[in-house]
Amino acid sequence: MLLLSVAIHFLLPAFYTGLLYLSPPKEKPPVYRVNLVNKPVKNPQAGRPEAAPKKQEAVKKAPPKPAPKPVVKPKPKPAPKPKPTPVEKPKPAPKPKPVVTKADEQSLAEKIDKMRRQKEREDRIAKLKEDLARERDKVVSPVVDAPVGEMTGKGDEEGVAFASYVKAYITEQWRYSPYLGNNLNFEAVWVLVYSAEGQLINKKVIAKSGNRAFDDSLLRAILKSQDLGRELGERTEFEVTFNLREMQN
Amino acid sequence: MKNGRICLVIVALLLASLSPAWAVKIEISAPGEQEIPLALTSFLPMGPVKPEIAREIDAVLEADLSLSGLFSLVDRRAFLSDAESLGLSSVQVDFAQWKLLGAEAVIKGGYRVEGDSLIIEARLFDVVARRMLTGRRYIGKLDEARRIAHTFADQVLLSLTGTKGPFSSRIAYISNRTGKKELYLMEVDGHAPVRLTSHRTIVLNPDFSPVGKELLFTSYKNGNPDLFRKEIYTGRESRLSHRKGLNIGGRYSPDGREIAVTLSKDKNSELYLLGTDGTIHKRLTNHWGIDVDPSWSPAGNEIAFVSDRRGNPHVYIVNLDSLEVRRLTFDGKYNATPAWSPDGKRIAFARLEDKRFDIYTIKPDGTDQRRLTFGPGNKEHPRWSPDGRFLVYSLDHDNEKSIYLMRADGTGTRRISAPGGDDSHPAWSGHW
Repeated sequence: MLLLSVAIHFLLPAFYTGLLYLSPPKEKPPVYRVNLVNKPVKNPQAGRPEAAPKKQEAVKKAPPKPAPKPVVKPKPKPAPKPKPTPVEKPKPAPKPKPVVTKADEQSLAEKIDKMRRQKEREDRIAKLKEDLARERDKVVSPVVDAPVGEMTGKGDEEGVAFASYVKAYITEQWRYSPYLGNNLNFEAVWVLVYSAEGQLINKKVIAKSGNRAFDDSLLRAILKSQDLGRELGERTEFEVTFNLREMQN
Repeated sequence: MKNGRICLVIVALLLASLSPAWAVKIEISAPGEQEIPLALTSFLPMGPVKPEIAREIDAVLEADLSLSGLFSLVDRRAFLSDAESLGLSSVQVDFAQWKLLGAEAVIKGGYRVEGDSLIIEARLFDVVARRMLTGRRYIGKLDEARRIAHTFADQVLLSLTGTKGPFSSRIAYISNRTGKKELYLMEVDGHAPVRLTSHRTIVLNPDFSPVGKELLFTSYKNGNPDLFRKEIYTGRESRLSHRKGLNIGGRYSPDGREIAVTLSKDKNSELYLLGTDGTIHKRLTNHWGIDVDPSWSPAGNEIAFVSDRRGNPHVYIVNLDSLEVRRLTFDGKYNATPAWSPDGKRIAFARLEDKRFDIYTIKPDGTDQRRLTFGPGNKEHPRWSPDGRFLVYSLDHDNEKSIYLMRADGTGTRRISAPGGDDSHPAWSGHW
């Protein structure tokens, strides 16, 4: 027991240093994009293509969709094909085995046809894969670092879409006339906390604009946004910056 | 070293796992709508019913508040039962009804006639915050419903923007309705025009005193274009400058203590500063070119004017301390009648281009030039409202001159002077 303990203690530093020096292999570590701004991504299965190292997986998942198409469509086509050529030719030559050949040839033709269709299908899938990969590489987000799942992004999952929804909802509630103030350089920051059910549970001004009309209009917009009319899934805190940048010429 | 790094990473990871939920950052860079939905209810009787009073108040408020550009008025036909109840305090208003109609603000009020007096109660409520934003009780004469409505419209703008509206101010202008060019005064919406002079000759270039209800103008009453001053309510009139040649374009300084004017007593038109007694304080320009149309900066240290010293007439600015002159405009064949905005940020002027005058504005440093008017006819003589929200100008079209008004960005144009006369040279008073 003592020996075992001594042996373990003896081996520990070596194991430790070994770990230390073995662990940093020279190969490039994988890069994971963590979107802290849009943190509450619920199901980041598919993200920005260039960020997510799942190209192959994504490609594998895609094929089931196009698969049924080629199977269903070609069915009626092969039927007429065997009729004209093989049916008449075999009849005169192989007289000794008239009954067997007909069935065999038909099944053989069917098999060949099946194989041919299988081959065509595989070729088509391979081509689709290639096209898909090419298309993915072609996609360029019009907005730099646009959040995944947004209209302007390239992702296809719904995780951060609710941030866009909240933005659109509050924007819709906000009424401000340019004639209310004598300039368009106001900016204010609010923190809004919504419950999982989409109810406003806390609001706080971080920075006021200094213009009463502008700040009042924001308060009205926030009060009108007390119920988002949609569940968020979890309690979420939003830091909302209001300004008039789009109204400046 | 490496152990230290590992420790740091572990600590950072621990901290990250312990920290509260990250705030999702959102930037909203424009409102969903640029007008505030306002429900303007009819004023209700608090005594004997006088529908004409309610109609007058409703019409004036609607016109003023529409002109402001701040509001989109909720269709009256959609109003629910709360529009029929007086509700002068926030607890009496059914805000849920107004919220249902999408209104963010509601105006309610009532009137009562007591003998010769008219009492009007007016309120502006914030539908979202369920509170009263402003409320006033006005007492006036029976025929003063319009004036009171204008005053409340000013109050609404003050309450929402911090700057009083100009609707209860006045506009002076020149009209030839009697066959001669005389000085007139009207309300901002063109109502109640009153003739102030009876010189039976040519009267020109009115300007309001910033203090007191007083006007400057030029008249050929005595055969020479002399500068006159007139007290509006007493009707008292005096000749302020009657030097040989031109005594035109008189403009009060922002503090009302001096008057900038063009005199041609030495043959050439030059700018001078006069005291309110007519004595010359200072000569501002000294150039062979013609210098006319002075307009004070609100700070009172500079004057914009028109000069042809470099060929075509252009707008220049003279510093009153150093008398240094700098050129403001370079485009167009003819730039005239500059008017400095009350906040000092822009100068409006008329420019001849494509054989037609249009109104432009420009920053005092010569940048950000904007054309405000389009369409047929000559638009000239722009002048700012006292709050800088609007511009008034004259339009010469189809052989008729009339007074028009628009927002400072060129939108919301409307004719305010009545048809049937040549009306020009408007001047906007200060807050009345």
